[in-house]
Amino acid sequence: MNVSDILFYFLSALAIGSAILVVISRSPIYSVLWLIVTFFAISGHYIMMNAQFLGIVNLIVYAGAIMVLFLFVIMLINLNTDAKPQKGKWLRLAGTVAGGCLLLVLVAALKNTEVKGMGVQVGTGDIGLINQLGKALFTEYVVPFEISSILFLSAMVGAVVIGKK
Amino acid sequence: MNALVLSAIWGVIMMFSGIITSRLKVVRVVAVLGIIVLLLSTIMELNGTKFFGFNLNGMLVFDTFSLLFNSVIFFCVLIYFLLSGKDIEKVGMNVPDYYALLFFVLAGVTMASSFNTLLMLFLGIEIISIPLYILTGSDKRNLKSNEASLKYFLMGSFSTGLMLMGIALIYGAKASFNLDVIGGTTTELTPMVSAGLLLLLFSMAFKVSAAPFHFWTPDVYDGAPGVFTSFMATIVKAAAFIAFIRLFRGGFTEVHAKWQLIVAIITAATLFIGNITAVFQQSVKRMLAYSSISQAGFMMFAIVSLGDAALEGLLYYAAAYCLATIGVFAILVRMKDYTYDGFNGMGKHHPAIAAANTVFMLSLAGIPATAGFMAKFYMLSVAINAGKLLWLVIIGILCAAVSVYYYFRVIQAMYFKDGEKQEIETGPGFKLLLGITAGFIIFLGIFPQWLIEKLYFFL
Repeated sequence: MNVSDILFYFLSALAIGSAILVVISRSPIYSVLWLIVTFFAISGHYIMMNAQFLGIVNLIVYAGAIMVLFLFVIMLINLNTDAKPQKGKWLRLAGTVAGGCLLLVLVAALKNTEVKGMGVQVGTGDIGLINQLGKALFTEYVVPFEISSILFLSAMVGAVVIGKK
Repeated sequence: MNALVLSAIWGVIMMFSGIITSRLKVVRVVAVLGIIVLLLSTIMELNGTKFFGFNLNGMLVFDTFSLLFNSVIFFCVLIYFLLSGKDIEKVGMNVPDYYALLFFVLAGVTMASSFNTLLMLFLGIEIISIPLYILTGSDKRNLKSNEASLKYFLMGSFSTGLMLMGIALIYGAKASFNLDVIGGTTTELTPMVSAGLLLLLFSMAFKVSAAPFHFWTPDVYDGAPGVFTSFMATIVKAAAFIAFIRLFRGGFTEVHAKWQLIVAIITAATLFIGNITAVFQQSVKRMLAYSSISQAGFMMFAIVSLGDAALEGLLYYAAAYCLATIGVFAILVRMKDYTYDGFNGMGKHHPAIAAANTVFMLSLAGIPATAGFMAKFYMLSVAINAGKLLWLVIIGILCAAVSVYYYFRVIQAMYFKDGEKQEIETGPGFKLLLGITAGFIIFLGIFPQWLIEKLYFFL
């Protein structure tokens, strides 16, 4: 087991563990903080796969901008820990059973998957570099790239419609 | 491609029309003009005239089926704008923006009907969904509308997340987004492909509101302003079905036998839940929401059988269902009382509207000589031809019989019960257009081949 394998397993365990903590934390502030840890771990994966640009953008956009927005919103609406709505016992049981079933099915399905035993492939791809990414975006994927502007435009129009008096 | 570019451009034009003029009638005329341009440009593309020569890298494939479906949809939207344009103006202050969002949805619809990579599928479904979240909540002073919008947004983004995860798993197994590659190499279900397939199936079932992913539908359709419910229940649902069948025909035909049973069970559950629950509704708007679930059950037959005949059937069903539902909603949103009692005595006070409404209801119920009958007939016959699914066909027929009850309750209220005269704001143009729509439904019901032959006419 070399360094990259150890790093891969460490980052994966960190990502999964902090993602679970996002869900089970009682205070929303803790959830947001654990989510930031998850993003850092995923950025680590990107960087190991030689996608430095994606890793940094992931940090700047998600861990930076969006999470700060999250924290501000939570501070503004001033959520206390006891303000959390109490779910019924049966509802919680049903949720646990349903989620557990999904987990069981996914684990059973992916246990024998085709990529079994393959760790991270360090330094093999170069699509995550800004040079390659730009080339791919503006040659092969230029149509979806331009079309996504419709998506953002409609989201902006929507924000104005909802926000205006 | 014509329609995709033009609808995006026309969305921007609609936004600017709000700056240039404050007269809503002008805005409405510009919107109607836009949809006519879209319809004509699609028909021209069917005849081989392409305005834009982009290199699409095989990401969007505009074949006869998708172009013909787009024409049908644009025709339905034209009817919708003409019938309900005035009611869009009553929803709120930002009328040009509503039209702009509707045109952006149409851009998404053209993508959903002609995508050839999972990337385009995702973009198309998102471009359809995001404007709809906003249109659902556009009646800002109404608490029910706000609740519906939030609920739709949360559930919708969750199902989009499922779709993304499915796409990621499929990409991990096949190293390609392209449907041709996925379809060509998926000869057996490996674990990653089957997990991805199931997640895609669930998210698409959510988008078309098939049971057990239908829980959002009644609340959202009931809470949203009536005009936009009409749009969501018809145009968007039909587009989601086209995306559904394109995805599963293109990607997973070879392993059809392995997932057919799951889809058959979803279909049976959708038919059963949609029809049985619709019987107990008191509000016609909510009944129509459940009826849209049960109609989705019939359209699911196309996904179950997946043949060429299924494409014909789905195209025809989309036309029949959209026209009838747009007509019913156009009448409903002009009424003050959305319950069955609101229809009491309509046959006496508004005979023309009642007659048109009767045709729409008969078509939805699937009575012979209307388009709805031939549509259901097509769906059931493709399921019979697919073989070994006779139990599903029997459930379908039983549920169609149940649906007659709640559609005929409206007809009964209109003709056999007395009621106060309700004010329904109508002009001669509205009545004429309702008459034309009803006539078109009967025409399609008597000459179904007229539409279906078009599939093989433009080659």
